[in-house]
Amino acid sequence: MIFEPVTYKGGVYRYEEIVELIEDLGGYIVQLQQIAGDIIIQALVPRADIEMMRQIAKPLNGTVTLSPLVGTEIAVVSPSLEIHHLPHASCDVAEYLRRFGAKTNMVGLARGFGKRIAQLNVEERDIINEHDCAIYVLGNFQECIHHKFTALRRGIHVPIVLTGAPSKEDLQQCVDPPVEGYVGGMGRMAHRAKRPEELEKLEEMAAEVSRVLEVRRTEIAKDPLSVMPPRLMQVVLEKLPAIHDVTSPTPVTVQMAGLRVKLPYETYARDVRDLEIEHGIRVRDVADVLPSRMRTYIWVRVKPFSETHVMV
Amino acid sequence: MSGLEYFVVESPEATGKAYYERIAGDVLQDLNLLQVVEKLHITVDPKVPLFVAVGVTRKLPSQVRVRDFAAVVPLESRITLSIGDETYLAPLLTLLWDRYGKAEVDQPDRFTVVVTAPGVTAQEIEDLVVLDPTGSLYRDLMYALICIQPEGFKVRKQSYGDGRFFFVASEDTLPEDVVQTIVAEKFRLIGVEL
Repeated sequence: MIFEPVTYKGGVYRYEEIVELIEDLGGYIVQLQQIAGDIIIQALVPRADIEMMRQIAKPLNGTVTLSPLVGTEIAVVSPSLEIHHLPHASCDVAEYLRRFGAKTNMVGLARGFGKRIAQLNVEERDIINEHDCAIYVLGNFQECIHHKFTALRRGIHVPIVLTGAPSKEDLQQCVDPPVEGYVGGMGRMAHRAKRPEELEKLEEMAAEVSRVLEVRRTEIAKDPLSVMPPRLMQVVLEKLPAIHDVTSPTPVTVQMAGLRVKLPYETYARDVRDLEIEHGIRVRDVADVLPSRMRTYIWVRVKPFSETHVMV
Repeated sequence: MSGLEYFVVESPEATGKAYYERIAGDVLQDLNLLQVVEKLHITVDPKVPLFVAVGVTRKLPSQVRVRDFAAVVPLESRITLSIGDETYLAPLLTLLWDRYGKAEVDQPDRFTVVVTAPGVTAQEIEDLVVLDPTGSLYRDLMYALICIQPEGFKVRKQSYGDGRFFFVASEDTLPEDVVQTIVAEKFRLIGVEL
């Protein structure tokens, strides 16, 4: 069954029917948000059933749109947290990607600025590597990007999308070895993106990120995961009561090949490992339960089928 | 940029130049400095690396003294201030408290302040500077230039006076003579001889 990431937007009126429909179809709800009278559901639904879901949503005044980034966690890497890079360029990127269903985390580097002095420390590197993809929101000069990017990408093994003011071709020229995606014409700004050409650039950026993640999905599909991360999320939500005491908007964040469980590793890692998925197969059989470098969270990395020879 | 008589950004990279023009415009506008700066010349060379901004300010508002907004009336051992413009009352009270102590400064009603400190003359109080706009303006201007410059340029040299200012920043140490030569050269571009 091929799942398609979708977003349902509608009112609170009879929204439970949509929730039940997704469950009946064998889909997974990644996030359900109620904002005043609105309901936003991000879910993975079988591709063949999307049209039927649209028809059922119509009388409820709900809309179903494809959101290619649902179920992904993306690091937006900013050279620093100073006024030069925040809030404008980096927050524009982070916020825009959320519209497409991504969960974005801002990673403000401690010493990511400067041509000669830019560097990435071990903690930053590890945090970025816990994501599905990293977007480097860099500045205005090709010369600077050329020099500093070598230091900023050192040790990063997740796909990178590089943005900066120079054109896409110039970015491609000044980065060696190449990265997975480029978005040119999007440099440091001192205002929010609001002009049509700026919004177009954000659209282009979202498309580029989708493309890069699609390539990653294809890679993962060659050696499928032992369990789908949204399914693992359902198991955690059903069988680990402590998760319901977490106040974070997404107590369990779904990634393309893993989960971030926002519970302290020291206390709950064993419980997570021991969770039974089905027929005696436990989480520890199909995934590594690791301490996340983000706060004290738990990072669950699902193993591929070739490693476990188990598929649930 | 509207409001500035002269505004030029030069850089070896055309894209970077265009971006810095917008950044400078946005920052000056956000900090309400467009009416203050008359000429501004910015040079950004990422190869060196070097950021130089030189400029000229318009005629700035003068210092605000007590006589500008209050009538000072000496009577026996007391000096009574009748406040005409309440805008400066808070900084005035702070100043008087600092100089003479709270026990010697009384405010019987909203628009009257009485100073009872011994030996104080009316002339002395009239000449007190309550607000110096140039000080905060200088800070705002330098903050604006710090926001405009590329972030990694942590070695800075800045100066302000006689209605003109310069700001030089780099990642590397800046030799004094080089700074002076570059600044003088850039000032010449906006018609100012040092």
